Amino acid sequence: MTLTIFLVMIAFIIIMQASIPFLLKKTLAFGVTIPEGYTDHKTVTASKKAYSAICLLLGTVALLGYAIWANQPVLSEEHIVLIGLGIQFGILLISMVLYLYFHAKITRLKRSQNWGSDLKQVRIADLAIRSKDEMLPTALYALPIVITIGLIAYTATQYGNMPDLIPTHWGPNGQPDAFSEKTPFSVVALLLILLVMQGMMLGIHALTKQSGIKLNAAKSKTSQIQQLSFRKYTSWFLFMTSFLITILFGFLQLVTIHEGLGNEVIMLAFPLGFLFVILIATAVYAFKVGQGGSRIDVLVEDESAPGITDVDDDQYWKAGVFYVNKNDPSIFVEKRFGVGWTINFGNPIGYLILFGPILLIIAISLLL
Amino acid sequence: MVLIHIEPSSSIPIYTQLTHQLIILIAQGQLKAGDTLPSVRSLASDLGMNMHTVNKSYHELEKKGLIQIVPKSGAVINPIPRDGIAEVHRLRIVEELEPIIAEAIALGMTSEGIETLTSTIISTLKEES
Repeated sequence: MTLTIFLVMIAFIIIMQASIPFLLKKTLAFGVTIPEGYTDHKTVTASKKAYSAICLLLGTVALLGYAIWANQPVLSEEHIVLIGLGIQFGILLISMVLYLYFHAKITRLKRSQNWGSDLKQVRIADLAIRSKDEMLPTALYALPIVITIGLIAYTATQYGNMPDLIPTHWGPNGQPDAFSEKTPFSVVALLLILLVMQGMMLGIHALTKQSGIKLNAAKSKTSQIQQLSFRKYTSWFLFMTSFLITILFGFLQLVTIHEGLGNEVIMLAFPLGFLFVILIATAVYAFKVGQGGSRIDVLVEDESAPGITDVDDDQYWKAGVFYVNKNDPSIFVEKRFGVGWTINFGNPIGYLILFGPILLIIAISLLL
Repeated sequence: MVLIHIEPSSSIPIYTQLTHQLIILIAQGQLKAGDTLPSVRSLASDLGMNMHTVNKSYHELEKKGLIQIVPKSGAVINPIPRDGIAEVHRLRIVEELEPIIAEAIALGMTSEGIETLTSTIISTLKEES
């Protein structure tokens, strides 16, 4: 079971990493702004293909090697988990190194050939766009939080009936494998962690909703449709994640309170179902919506406006991945290499929303 | 779509570009009396620029009497007065227009040329509305 989970996860990571260059807008390659007219330059397209091919090849070798190695009967489950995690990190590391190589290569090429020097850089905004924004209302994200507070209250009423050892960790088979002594804190620790995660997602949602809707000056209509779809589906995805985590954690908490509730099959099915739905949703989102909605089909694609291109803000993107712009009030911005949002490191609130919850969760785990 | 175009590399300051374009949109009727402009934060985010820049532009428009900044509702477009331009604004426009017309004459533009240009600009603004 453990091996199957790891094989699926590793295969998933390989496919996602290898696909990234093709999930992005054509005006971005390896974190570099590509001016209109150069998006199909042969070095750019060849680099994207090379990146994907190397990721797929090395990934497949690692995956096969892992599958064969893990079939030795002498191995403990711990070994399989450890090496499985190692391979996941290894794939991420390799794709990062490849990314940096191609980032440097395209940056050099663009500079040496003066790409876009004959084009006028224009930034556009639609004054009426906020009324068309279809991101979910922030209040909806409070709903899972209300459920958690209800569960905490319910746990308080059931305190007397709860076992002396409270599960704090569950193994791949869905069975608890680590416990803490029963205290008023340990019985709700899981729910507190859930609360922190829900709060983080509410915060991310509220801040991404405020972030800039950046249109492509040369293709205003197409990019408007794509941007709005991206924002809508991203907020759906985030809400679904918040909802699913609530179901999973809420279920684990109820099983802790009422031990008879979960038999072995259900305990196994819940986390697996959760993982399965998240992976499928991520894949559908990445390939159907794409970064910034780049894979959304637009009925009538507008022609590139001649002579102009998007503003080149490469100077604010350190290594093409870290956005540092003190002037931009957006706290979240679209990633340049990957799907989803990243924070504006030029804005301290961004750090807070990212590291605050992590520190809180660590604090809760240490107190147990 | 009511579009704003900003050229960061232009010699015209960004806040001036923004102010000019908003004035043109009002003159064209694309922004009508009672319409609200986006909040300073959201327009600055959309354009990836400093909030002060947008704020400065909005205050400039308010000083010119084109918008009204209402607490909570934001920047609201004023109606175009039916009984003509207020004296204070007329004087300001005369003052701003004079050096430009003088420059045109000094560079050899004829009176007819200036008049034709003015009517062309007016008809273009009306055409695009």
